[in-house]
Amino acid sequence: MKKKDKQQTVAVSEKTQRSTPAQGSSAPIKLELLITIVDKNKAEFYIDLIQSYDVNFQFSEPARGTAKAEILDYLGLADTDKTVIFSVVRSDRLDELMYVLDMKFRTIKNGKGVSVSVPFSSMIGTSVYTFLCNAAEPVWGSNAK
Amino acid sequence: MSENDNKYEMIFCIINAGFSEAVMDAAREAGARGGTVMRARGTAGKEAEEHFKITVHPDKEVVMILVPKDIKDAVLSAVYNSAGMSTAGQGIAFSLPVNKTVGLQ
Repeated sequence: MKKKDKQQTVAVSEKTQRSTPAQGSSAPIKLELLITIVDKNKAEFYIDLIQSYDVNFQFSEPARGTAKAEILDYLGLADTDKTVIFSVVRSDRLDELMYVLDMKFRTIKNGKGVSVSVPFSSMIGTSVYTFLCNAAEPVWGSNAK
Repeated sequence: MSENDNKYEMIFCIINAGFSEAVMDAAREAGARGGTVMRARGTAGKEAEEHFKITVHPDKEVVMILVPKDIKDAVLSAVYNSAGMSTAGQGIAFSLPVNKTVGLQ
């Protein structure tokens, strides 16, 4: 009887551990808005690349650069058509993603771009959060503040 | 990864369509290097227009300018003076903190 009670206690304890934050953490993993500005004809490539880093929500907007005509002529560039990609990224995947983006910006022909991350200060809705995190349940992390 | 983490701010300026050049000229004079322009549409309602005694031009442009933190105030001030609410551009401008950057070099 006592052994059974102990087994039940262990089972409950394991269940509790799964549904509560890991040791040393106090909040879910944060999300950041990644703003990536690239040439229009490379947008699809970068959207697919970013999507592979647990990114479930992105939208892109056509845009144009503000370089003056004389500078474009000097550099031999034809146009200033750009695409701005807005992506919601988990902060624990951000460093890796930005490292890869940096490599791609440097190595792909006509693939130069700029990427910046802006932190979310708040959001509402557990289901929305788990969707944006690409997780089955809220993600608790040791780097959360 | 950039070593410029937390040293930049992103300035967003929402203005009537056609005034992005004025914004960029002012920003460049204050030290900004370049920007990106997106098209947008304003959504202020009739009641808000009457209450604040303004006319909202629905065609807008959003200018995004990435600047070092130390010149952010100068750029915002220049943008406000050249395309602020008291001008034909009827612009509003604000800045957001940027955590990390890549691709600036």
